[in-house]
Order: sequence, then C-alpha cells, then structure tokens
Amino acid sequence: MAILEIRNVSKLFGGLAANSDVTFSVEPGTIQGLIGPNGAGKTTLFNCITGYYPPTRGDVIFEGRRINGLQPNRVCMLGMARTWQKVRPLAKMTVLDNVMVGALARTWSLRAARELAMEQLRVVRLDQKAEFLAGGLPIGERKKLEVARVLATQPRMLLLDEVMGGLNPAESEEIIQLILDIKKRGLTQMVIEHDMKAIMRICDRIAVLNSGEKLAEGTPSEISRNPEVVTAYLGEAIA
Amino acid sequence: MTLLLQSVLSGVLVGGVYALIGIGLTMIFGVMRVINFAHGELLMLGMYLTWIVFTWMGIDPFVSILLTAPALYLWGALLQKAFINRILGALPQNQILLTIGLGLVMSNAVMLAFTSDYRILTTSYSSSSFNVGPVSVSIPLAISFAITAVITGLLGWFLLKTDTGQAIRATAQDREAAQLMGINVARTSVMAFGIGSALAGTAGALIAPTYYIYPQVGSAFTLKAFVIVVLGGMGSVVGATLGGLIVGVTESLAAVYVASGLKELVVFVVFLAVLLFKPAGLLGKSRT
Amino acid sequence: MRPGTLPAGAARAPRGFSLPATLAILAVIAVAAVFPQLVRKPYMLHMGILLFLAIVQGAAWNVLGGYAGQYSVGHAAYFGIGAYATMMLLELQKVPPWWGIWAAVAAALVLSAIIGSITFRLRGPYFVLASISVAEIIRLAALHFKGFTRGAEGFLLGEIPTWHLLGMEVEFITKRPFYYVGLLLALVTILANYAVQHSRLGYFFQAIREDQDAAHSLGIDLTLYKNVALAISAVLTALGGGFYAMYVKFIDPNSVFGIDVSVQIVLICIIGGIGTILGPVIGAAVMVPLSEVLRNPKGLVQVGLLPSDSGFVRFVEANLSNAHVLIYGILVVVVILFAPDGVLGIVRRMLAGTRKREARPSAPAAT
Repeated sequence: MAILEIRNVSKLFGGLAANSDVTFSVEPGTIQGLIGPNGAGKTTLFNCITGYYPPTRGDVIFEGRRINGLQPNRVCMLGMARTWQKVRPLAKMTVLDNVMVGALARTWSLRAARELAMEQLRVVRLDQKAEFLAGGLPIGERKKLEVARVLATQPRMLLLDEVMGGLNPAESEEIIQLILDIKKRGLTQMVIEHDMKAIMRICDRIAVLNSGEKLAEGTPSEISRNPEVVTAYLGEAIA
Repeated sequence: MTLLLQSVLSGVLVGGVYALIGIGLTMIFGVMRVINFAHGELLMLGMYLTWIVFTWMGIDPFVSILLTAPALYLWGALLQKAFINRILGALPQNQILLTIGLGLVMSNAVMLAFTSDYRILTTSYSSSSFNVGPVSVSIPLAISFAITAVITGLLGWFLLKTDTGQAIRATAQDREAAQLMGINVARTSVMAFGIGSALAGTAGALIAPTYYIYPQVGSAFTLKAFVIVVLGGMGSVVGATLGGLIVGVTESLAAVYVASGLKELVVFVVFLAVLLFKPAGLLGKSRT
Repeated sequence: MRPGTLPAGAARAPRGFSLPATLAILAVIAVAAVFPQLVRKPYMLHMGILLFLAIVQGAAWNVLGGYAGQYSVGHAAYFGIGAYATMMLLELQKVPPWWGIWAAVAAALVLSAIIGSITFRLRGPYFVLASISVAEIIRLAALHFKGFTRGAEGFLLGEIPTWHLLGMEVEFITKRPFYYVGLLLALVTILANYAVQHSRLGYFFQAIREDQDAAHSLGIDLTLYKNVALAISAVLTALGGGFYAMYVKFIDPNSVFGIDVSVQIVLICIIGGIGTILGPVIGAAVMVPLSEVLRNPKGLVQVGLLPSDSGFVRFVEANLSNAHVLIYGILVVVVILFAPDGVLGIVRRMLAGTRKREARPSAPAAT
C-alpha cells in the first residue's frame, strides 16, 4: 500500500490555480522526486500536503488516513515532516536546542531529547557545533541543521524542499549521501530539487509538475526521455 | 428620526477629520511599513500649536493651518530622519515600542511645559450652528469638514498626478522595485512621514475649537486612527477616508443609542471584530 | 571549518548559570532577606517593595513576551484584574488577601483564556494592537460600570486583617511584612522563569518566538502553547496586581488598567534584557530608583544621601515632578535604537568581544 496518495489535489488562490488536479502516489521506503520549472506548484503541493493550508479540492492520504485540512503540527505528529525551501533556523537558539525542539515532539524528557538530538547531529555531522547559535551558521550547515531537526521528530516520511539549493558541489554531495542514508533507515522521502543530476541519481520515481498540473510521472530514465518534460524545462528549440 | 439624522450628520462631519488622521497614518504605514504609535501625539502638537498661535497672536485656528501644517511637516521629517529611519529593518515589535517611546516623550514634554491643565480655544463661532431642515449643523465642524474635503482632494491630486506623489505610491507598492527604478526611497520615506505628520497636525488644528486640549489627548486619537486604518485596509488612502467616516458615525450613534460613556468602548469592540474577521479591512485588499 | 577557531558570527551561546554566578545570586537573595534587619529606615524598605513589584511585573511579562515572543502591550488587564479581585473581596466580603489572591489567580486564568482565544489569531503588530484594545476595553468598562467597580472613585483599603501564619501574628501595618511578601513574590516569579526556560515548555515557547511556522511544522500546537505562556504570565501579573492593591491601598481603573502600566511592564523587561532571567531584575533595578527619584526627590534626603537643602532636590521638585514618564519614553527610544537586547545584551557583547580577541582570529567571515 502506498504510504502517500495525492488524489486530484487542486489549490486555488483567488483565480490562480497553483495546483491543478494532481494525482500520484509514493511507495514506502522510496525516494520520490518532484520536479518542474519555477512556479510549477511544487512547494504549494508540499504546503497542501503538510497542512500549511488545505487543498481547495482533492485528498491527501497518508498511511491510509485522510489528512487534508489537518494542522501542520498534527501532520508532523502523524509521522510526516518537512523542510523549508527558505531555511528556517530558530536563530537565537543553539544548534542543539534547535534539534531538541524537534525531539521534544515525541518525548517529554529533556535528557532523552538531548540524546536523540545529539544523535541526529552526529548523523549530519554538526555535533561539533552543538553549542553554536543557529543564526550564525553558513547556509550549508543551516540546511543540515534543518534536516537533523526534522529527523528528530522521528518521521516515517520526509518532504525535502530544495534542500540542495544554494549549496556548492561538496555540500550537495554530502546532502545526497545523507538522503541515501535516510533511505537506508527505512524512511520514505519526497524531494523537490532543481539539480537534475542529483534527482536522476537518487530518485526511484519522479513526478513532473508544470503550471500546476502533473505533466508526467515515471522512473528517472522514462522522465529523462519524455519530450514534454524536456520542452517544459528547456523550451521548444531543444526538444 | 431627526435624532438619527442628527447623529449621522455629526458623525460624518467628525468623521472627515478622523479621515485626515487615518490617511496620515496609513501613508506612513504604506510607505515604510511602520506602525506609528505616536500619531496621536502629532495631532496633539498640532492642537497646542494652534492654541498658542491663537492665544498669543489672535490668529484664527482655521487660518493658522497654513502655519501648523508646514511646522508639523518639518517635525515629522526630522523624526523620520533621526529615529524612524534607523529601525526600518527592525522587528515590528521594536518599531512599535520606539514610536510608543517617542509618543511618551512628546506628550510628557508638553506636560512639563504647559502642565496637564485642560486648555480651551473658544472662537466667536465655536458654539454657533445653522439649521438645515430639522437638523442643526455646528459651524466649526462644518468648516473643518469643508477644509478636510479640500485637503483630501489636493492630496489625491498630488498622489495621482505629480511625479513626487507617484514616487510615494510606487515606494508604498514595492520599495525594492521603486529603488531599482531610480526612486530615492529614503526621500519618499521622509516625505511620507512629513505629510502624515502634517495631516495629523492639521486635524489637531481643525478640532482645537471643539475639543479640550491637554497633553494626553493624543493617545485616544492614536487608537482611533488605528481602528480607521485597519477598517480601511493598511496602506489604502481611500480606505482610510471611508474608515474615518465609518468610525465617526459609529461613535456618534453609539453615544446616542448605547451610552455616552461607552462610545469609545464600542469603537474598540468594532476594532477587535475587524481585526479578527476582516484583517485586510472592509475593502478587503490583502497586502503582503 | 578549521578546528579551534571561532568563525565570525557563530558565537557560542551562554549555557545557564555557572557556579560562581549561582553563588552570587544566592548571596544577593540572602542579603535581600536580612535587609530589613539591617536597615531601619522605612523608606528603604519602600524602595525594596517597589523593586520587587517591578521584578514581578517584568518577569511575568517575560514569559509571554520574552520567551514566547508575543508582545502584549495590554498586560495591565491582568494586573488590574488581580488588584480589583483582591481589593473587592477584602472590602466587600471581608476575605483576607491571602485567600483573595487565589480569586485573582482564577480571574486571571479566565481572562487570559478569553483574551488568548481572541488575540492569538493575530500576529506581530496586529497582536500588539489587539492586546492594547482589550486592556482599554476593560479600563473603559471599569470606569463606566460604576455600580460594580465604583468607577473613577476607585477602592480605598480599610485595613488588612491579622494573618495567623505558622504560629506568628503578622500585622500588615509596618512595611516589613510587605517587604517579605514582595520578596517572596519576586522569587516565585523568577523561579517560574527559570522553570520555564529549562523545561519542554521553554523550548516550545522559544521556537514559537523564533519562527512560528517552523515551530508549527515541528509538531508544536501553537494555540495551546501560546495560551499556556499567556496563562502563566497572566497569573503572575495578577499576583503582582493583588499585592499592589494591598500595599498602595488605593486603586482606580486608570492606575491599574491604564496603558502606561502596560508600557511600564514591557519597559522593565526590555531595558534589562528581554528573554532572560536576570533581565527583568536589572530592568527593575534601573527603572525603580529612577522613577522614585523623580517622583519624590526628598526620598534621597530621607535616606541621608543628600543634604536637606540640596539644590538637586529643589531643582527636581520644581521642574521634573512627574517627569518619570518622560524619562521612560527617552529610555525606550535609547534602548530600542542602541541596545535592543537591553543591559544584558550590552554586557554580553562586551564579553563576547573580549573572548573573540582571545581566540586566534584565523577563520574568514563565515556567513
């Protein structure tokens, strides 16, 4: 059974259809790519799925349960966590405290939360900076911090929104390894990315959005050979 | 019925002055996204300036607007350059606290200089009125409404038809884009605060013949100004005009039909309701 | 990242209280406790009481404004409710204040639940405006509904009954019992801040302050935790209000529900350092002496700091009586412009400066 089912999800802002009748599913333990040109509606879809706002139409089914309309904190507690396109560190708190906020979602004990948090920091290799203020970190480390933080909420599915955006090749490679490690732990992931090479490498399946609609869906090789996808990204001339 | 007409009419007349206050506040917010908690104090300064000029030089309050408006413009420009400009990027909460502080300094400085004694400004026509059918119209209120209408018209022309006015509107719409277009946003900010202060001061001059003048009179008007601005939509000049009229009429009707002592309370309750249910204002423009 | 270097901007965060700091704090508390035995002048005790009251106000606000980041500029609502509840129960029903204060707590809880449900839907400046409006509505209502609250006439305290406590008979006639109650309340409020900061609540409050949407997405129920922060803050503020009523012995709507009370509460916290435990204490230590000197310069003569024919006293009396609010205004402006993190922020920056100079500065600017 699919861990996440998006059924005919549409999101309208006034007259603008940011998402239009989007349907696909994600199998447990896999990495789903979500790609498309800028403005295609990818982050909007993430926001609808995680409860930042409800979809105008359609259903979001997570682990067999309809979750559209639930508040973001409920969605997180049900096991689906997300990172943000524009990183959102809790700036005046330390790196460790940031991750502890995530860990405290599942435990009331500060000691247990601290241990869980340090573990996640070790996974993303930020443990040396545990006592540093999050606001002072460079962009690459902020992205890693955000991943550590959501991992601390012990999700079963992770939505990563352009987690490689703005990173240099070395940092991106680190993130890719992280994502693959997370997959080994059994988590399902859905990844919005613009880095095509990375997407092709790590994803099991890819869904392509364009102007709010789902343009195509399939394996990486199917998608890379799909002429409509190429046109959408690169324009008519290349197709 | 006459009572209803009477209170609506007085409400509208007072509402015109309220609109001036609201327009000033909304311009400041529109251009700088700063919530000016000292707006009422600017009005208070206008009242005192009018009173001083009247008491020592015998100049009629409506005439002295020609003095008060530019004086308050300069004062507002100074405040912007010296203080407001420094906190344009700060947390909104800190901006509010700064303007609260400035307001406290202004009202208490005036209190030290003039004591808390209530001052009155009585002109020969302060209590005169004329009749239009069954309703009586207070002359000072009628004159201030007329002046307000003229000023609003002039302001509208300025904002729509002049280069400077359009620069102000552009800055209010999108500060970065305006800057990229070559508009000196620092200068438009100074002008916006100056104009906002001038409008507040003018409103003070207009109501000086009909209100008690004392240092703390500003705070009631600040809060009223916020009600007006939120009602009309933060940043909308047209909205502020409508908002002023609505608040004026609501207050007037509440004084008659609810209880005079509760009229301010009713305005606050309306304010809360608008904040909760229609935060983008009755005109519903949602601005980011 | 080269090991051993301190990248610019990624300052090490201070972690709680070190041993020397803890000992220093305990020493201060000990001194405060024996102070009335050492000093005989009632005026000094009066200053102490005012200081404790200010600490209670500032530290109570800190829970909501400092930790949870919700800047209420309408906290006078809770202060006043505490004052009126305690006063009215004593004057009208002869309920002694050590019981009446519980009614103040209950009233604050109910009021905070109502106000929270209304105002927490709003963010940033809109929340500030709503909080002010609510306090004003309550003040205007208290002024208008004279049958219930005696309106502008206010309540005058008759006398506080004797408290039979642990075999002692405490008479609330001299300042001494008030001093100890005040000290106790101040300690309770500070301890509440400490408990919040080092608990799960503290983490959630601060997450909400730093980034509400991020906190929401991390499983934090915003409405619930904002209301918890408000409830704690409101109860502590109301306790302060009840104490104020009993000490000052006269209350009216403007003196306890007024916006200047709300502004003062915020100031105490901001001047010292918002979001810290010591901040409100420092803020109180700055504001109380300052406002007292201006309100009552003769006090300096009473404690023997100035001679009775002092020119300073004459000048202040002649020109600056009631200028304390003016000074508040100036203080706010100065603090916001130059030290938004308050006195503690300045201290911290100075210390960080010395620490940076000690570390070998070989790392390039990191951000």
